[in-house]
Amino acid sequence: MKDRRIEIVPPEGVPVSLNVATAGARFGAQTLDILITFGGMFLILLFVIFTNFLDEGLLVSLFFLLTFFLRVPYYIFSELVWNGRTLGKRIVKIRVISADGGRLTPHQIVARNLMKEVEVFLPATTLLTGNFGNGWTGFAIIVWMCAILLFPLLNKRRLRLGDMIAGTLVVEQPKAFLMPDLAAPKVKNASGFVFDVSHLNIYGRFELQALEGILRERPKTPDARQRVSDVVRTIRRKINYVEPLLPNDHWAFLTDFYRQQRAYLESRQLFGDARENKFHDKSKD
Amino acid sequence: MMIRSSRFRAEREAGWKKMETLVTVAEANGMSALSYEQAQSLASLYRQAVNSLSVARSISMDKALLAYLDALCARAYLVVYAPQESVRGAVLRLFTSGIPRAVRRSALPLFIGFLAMVLGAVVGYLLYFQDPEWFFTFVPPSMSDGRAPGASVEYLRSTLFDDDRQGGESLGVFASFLFSHNTRIAIFIFALGIFASLPSFILTFYNGLLLGAFFAMFAEAGLGYELFGWLSIHGVTELSAICVACAGGAQLGLAVLLPGNITRREALRLAGRDAVKLMILAGLMLIAAAIIEGFFRQLVQNTELRLIIGWGIGALWLAWLMLAGRGPEIEHDL
Repeated sequence: MKDRRIEIVPPEGVPVSLNVATAGARFGAQTLDILITFGGMFLILLFVIFTNFLDEGLLVSLFFLLTFFLRVPYYIFSELVWNGRTLGKRIVKIRVISADGGRLTPHQIVARNLMKEVEVFLPATTLLTGNFGNGWTGFAIIVWMCAILLFPLLNKRRLRLGDMIAGTLVVEQPKAFLMPDLAAPKVKNASGFVFDVSHLNIYGRFELQALEGILRERPKTPDARQRVSDVVRTIRRKINYVEPLLPNDHWAFLTDFYRQQRAYLESRQLFGDARENKFHDKSKD
Repeated sequence: MMIRSSRFRAEREAGWKKMETLVTVAEANGMSALSYEQAQSLASLYRQAVNSLSVARSISMDKALLAYLDALCARAYLVVYAPQESVRGAVLRLFTSGIPRAVRRSALPLFIGFLAMVLGAVVGYLLYFQDPEWFFTFVPPSMSDGRAPGASVEYLRSTLFDDDRQGGESLGVFASFLFSHNTRIAIFIFALGIFASLPSFILTFYNGLLLGAFFAMFAEAGLGYELFGWLSIHGVTELSAICVACAGGAQLGLAVLLPGNITRREALRLAGRDAVKLMILAGLMLIAAAIIEGFFRQLVQNTELRLIIGWGIGALWLAWLMLAGRGPEIEHDL
């Protein structure tokens, strides 16, 4: 799935975008959580067996009670305390958020985790134990349980039924990394190439940002340098820049062009002339 | 000379970086890891950053900057708007007002839930008297445990008043087994409700059929009153729990069937608020029922006492649900 971005509107009214967690990440977090809860139960049972103050029958009942009284609270409390992140989710760096842009409420957390009992654990244990009737009912149960388990794969936001009822989403933890500003002036480039309006009128935002991508990394291999030269050649042809240019100056040419093009496009935008891409002239017709 | 968007960025970058460190701390250790001043400055830095994002989107074409601000604001938003309830406060509110209010708001689904059970019981009862063979259709042999039409009155009586079969220790196992079985049924009934309520209705109806057929069989043997006591002691709580679970399911089903002017997903979300509380209530009642069943039913062998305990506990549930949380409306009860 390519487009996993969704927009959330916080109370401040400015939309922020987040990536919906992949099905693989969800599955991984779930598996980790199951390992953690069952590991915890196992330790408690082991402790009880060692201290030896319960007989076999009560151990069985303890096991049943523990599954219920450990598992449900684990998910609810960890998501409540760690703001939508169980330990498993913390490890795979995903989290639960409220789809309406507000804060995550206890109701939402309880709702989605109670539904988890129904749509994850019940089908999973039933399918794993193979404990269903035969004939048509058995078949129907298998189909139904598979459908419930696979439900998140069938919608774009990867919602479980519990997410739908609770109004929650599971997203990737956003990572913020600030790269240097390419348009910040460097002294040595102060007297570089100068482009006039006829040169800058060609491209739009899309091409500018593509160029930004190229400029983020200086070419190190001859191959990369060749690609940069190709870019320079294309740009020169396109904007009709006829001045002579030494191969050594290719990088400086691109940086200067980027800076002036961006300044030009941004000021055009301020005047209400937003240029999405190089077809901006044609789209006006 | 710097271009406008670079100047914009250079002026604000320090603030963003400062916020980023604060957010990183809060993400790892929670808001409580921040000092008072830090928390305060995080709030104002967050508003400034959101403001920057909004401005940058209209004046800047620097893709790296836009992506950074977007992610930074998202991270800060998740920290600033974290759940604020303490676990204890949330639980307390759930019991004092959340559940009782949800119950009082859900008259129709509760009616559907109890109706399913009662209808099932009546139909089961009547069908049994028409033809006792129906009993074998309704009740799986594993469940009837010899209690079938034609069994001797003595045997039937012994199943109601057994004094020595269960020792003190196996009570626990018995209770928790029954508890997990009933919980499973209740969860099924609730979860299936999402498919237009019909499956929960049918499952509850079927539970009613079982009940009706059993009752008819004991009534035929002249043990109707005794069975009523035997069932009452835990059944008032347990059967109500199943009806409540059915009501929760019906709540969801009704949202899917009759969403009104909103989308089905939205309707489901709204109905979920009360449905989940009904399900929590059903779970609590089942736990209570399992305790009563495991300990009191075997200990209390007197029918009158069983009736008093069973219906007394029922009255307590009703009192809680009807009386608690009657105050000025609070916007969000859990």
